[in-house]
Amino acid sequence: MIQRPDLLDPYEVSQLGGIELVARAVVEGFLAGLHRSPFRGFSVEFAEHRPYQPGDELRYLDWKMLARSDRLFVKQYEEETNLRAMLVLDVSASMDWVGESGRLSKLEYAKRLVAALSLIMLRQRDATGLIAYDEAVREVVRARARSRHWWTLLSKVNALTAGGGTAAEPALRKVTDLLRRRGLAILVSDLLFDRHLVLRTLQYLRHRGHQVMVFHIMDPGELDLQGPAEARFQDPETGVSMVARPRELRAAYGSTVRRTIETWRSACRRRGIDYHHVLTTTPFGYVLRRAAARRSRLG
Amino acid sequence: MISFLHPLALIALAAGAIPALLHLRSRRLPPVVVFPAIRYLTATEREHSRRIKLRNLLLLMLRTLVIVFLVLAAARPILRLASGRSHPPSAIVFVVDNSLSSGTVVRGRLMLQLIRDAAREALSQTNSGDHIWVALADGIPQRVTRLEAAAILDSLVPLPIRLDLGRVVRIAARTVGDDPLDGKRIVVFSDLQRSALTRGEVIDVPVLIPRIAELPVNRWIDSTFSDPPLWSPDGTVATAVGGTDGRTTTVRLSVAGQVLDRAVAGSGDQVVLAGQLDGLGWAVASVELDPDELRADDVRFIALFSAHPAAATALSGAGEFVSEALQVLQDGGRATSGTEVVIGDRPMQGMAVLFPPADPALLGAINRALADLGVQIQYGELLDGEWRVAGDLGTATGSTVFRRHRIVGSGTVFAEVANEPWLARDGEVVLVGSRMEPAWTELPVSAGFVPFLDQLINQVAARQTWIVAAAPGDVVTAPPSASELLGSNGASPIPGDHRLVAPFVPGVYFLRDAAGDTVGALELNPDVRESDLEPADDRTLRTHLGQGTRITSRQDLSRLMFVDDKRADLTWLFLWAALLTAVAEFAIANSGRSARRRP
Repeated sequence: MIQRPDLLDPYEVSQLGGIELVARAVVEGFLAGLHRSPFRGFSVEFAEHRPYQPGDELRYLDWKMLARSDRLFVKQYEEETNLRAMLVLDVSASMDWVGESGRLSKLEYAKRLVAALSLIMLRQRDATGLIAYDEAVREVVRARARSRHWWTLLSKVNALTAGGGTAAEPALRKVTDLLRRRGLAILVSDLLFDRHLVLRTLQYLRHRGHQVMVFHIMDPGELDLQGPAEARFQDPETGVSMVARPRELRAAYGSTVRRTIETWRSACRRRGIDYHHVLTTTPFGYVLRRAAARRSRLG
Repeated sequence: MISFLHPLALIALAAGAIPALLHLRSRRLPPVVVFPAIRYLTATEREHSRRIKLRNLLLLMLRTLVIVFLVLAAARPILRLASGRSHPPSAIVFVVDNSLSSGTVVRGRLMLQLIRDAAREALSQTNSGDHIWVALADGIPQRVTRLEAAAILDSLVPLPIRLDLGRVVRIAARTVGDDPLDGKRIVVFSDLQRSALTRGEVIDVPVLIPRIAELPVNRWIDSTFSDPPLWSPDGTVATAVGGTDGRTTTVRLSVAGQVLDRAVAGSGDQVVLAGQLDGLGWAVASVELDPDELRADDVRFIALFSAHPAAATALSGAGEFVSEALQVLQDGGRATSGTEVVIGDRPMQGMAVLFPPADPALLGAINRALADLGVQIQYGELLDGEWRVAGDLGTATGSTVFRRHRIVGSGTVFAEVANEPWLARDGEVVLVGSRMEPAWTELPVSAGFVPFLDQLINQVAARQTWIVAAAPGDVVTAPPSASELLGSNGASPIPGDHRLVAPFVPGVYFLRDAAGDTVGALELNPDVRESDLEPADDRTLRTHLGQGTRITSRQDLSRLMFVDDKRADLTWLFLWAALLTAVAEFAIANSGRSARRRP
């Protein structure tokens, strides 16, 4: 039985090699299951005809030619390369957390996801850039469409370490500076910051005509409150702490988390933002497939 | 009103503080856990803090309640719903202690008055449908009506007799056990002396005992012993003072109102009081202490008999020890030289004390000589062993015998070993079963030998005096020659079987034969066990009177006396309450756990 890396447990896949290897393996596996480009541009131009082969979609069949010559040809389009995408990666201290061993931290997961997304888009010849931030913008890589650009992005991503607080607004505003034309902004974060402030910024991006995707990265340990009978829970970013008894708060905490996720989801939907809640145990292929499917509907 | 069968278990209520203590203990220095999603946690805590506090408080209360309910259940709670006169007919024996100790003065009142008050109060709770018995110190339950019972209580006086409480309660249990009515009870009104309790068969009727009053410490004359048994005409009375009172008291020896001697003694001391009688014959003496709360045991009566010392001689066959001891008696004036009493190993005319011959071959000739004299007792086979002397022989009683001849035939037996005659008399001849030599008995090498020989010569052989000590109400066997008992209220005839019930008034009573001669005396003094006022504790009472014995207050007695006294055992109620509380605690503690869902 052939194991597709994009559908394996992220931690197991990460054991195969570095980020670039994982990203390639995931992307190869992911693309092998698709018949067409997942993140295609907003407009395409006709390139040439080619003979129909079983499996080709019927909507690309050239019916006029069929009527004239009684031969089956499909139309091939050339995707435009004028889509500019900016990946906005949260590298705050809260991202460097893992609920239990045998899992990737949120940051490690996010890095591999970003690498895979950038590889897919660069293969489509979309110009892809990167902004990493914590409480300030830490790294900026302008969007390029060259195939070697992926290695540039990869080296930057590899070098990123977690630390500091979280302030997403400057990073998102930086996107508006870097995307002059309509483009795609992809925010990869655990969203542990002021929701209203960030949503306002994301809405601003939407007003500027950009497509926006949000990947809400969460460790399963954040869904369900675990711990000793009584513990002092401490925020790694601010040092703020509180004493709580997980057994007493577990149910209410779970309810709060679910409500928060729903709030993010509905708020994003209202603003035309593509929202994805991603657990660090979810195979990368599922995440990419789900995002691609949503993009297909939107595009 | 709720009461508890095991109130001591309520001490465990302190365990109710355990949940609170655990709660406080767990609040100290919790471990630090790094958790990035603390904003969700703070939001949760903010939204639910009031509910969580309430839930925690509720859980704390429920856990405390579980412990409290369990402890209350362990204490066996009883709810009394009603009490009083509306009960179905019951069978009740009232045991009322009017023994000697009931004459003790407690806080200015006789103990018997307090006992009577408590008994009257309980009697007033009965109704005409109840079957009632009253058992007094004599131990015989009488079936009576309420009015008769009240009359008996009104007429009660302390008797100088001992109450065997264990025996009386068992008789009462058998009596009431045969009654067809349900609700059988024995109610004991007593000062509850430990010495009154005896063990016996299992008592299956509930015994209720109200605590009435604490008895004071007491002091009494434990024993008196006349030395020598026959005065001539002087002698001494050894007196032991009993009690737990540490104070000293004056001990006086009196005859006919005249004090012969006095001494000072404390509890547990023994004093010797000396005196001299005015003439020969019988005299009534008394030994008396200073008065205390129980007067009836501060005096003890003694019968004294004064006579000239017997003139005795010891033949060589009697042995060296007898000859030496007789010489001591003669030197001390307890005997004179003469042949009034001859001591030896072969019979002859006149008063004689015979010991077995050293040579067993002579035994046949001795027995034939006894028969020729018309004596009905003889020596039998020779036995070796180890026995103890039993009988009224003063210091010789309890001595060990290693060799003896059986004494066969019919005569008056003064001492026995192994339930066989060892010292007996017929006519003017006294036979002793053992020679007075160490190989036969330890008696000749013991301190009691000279007094024994004194008693043998002066009392058994020369002067046939019969003095027996008994307690009032005892059954006494009189000597065959006695025909009447002479007391301060005159003479009363002695039954043909010579068994008589001793009078209830302590003192000295004389026994006379048909010719009017005094042949003996009966010393009647209260049983010293009645003087020991140490009370029995609850455990001792239950041990001796059955586990169904309930020691209670006078107030509770009226509620416990009748079976229909409506009461409910709340043990199961509290157990169920504990269980339901535990279930509620479990449900609340686990509420919300199943609500874990992934978004």
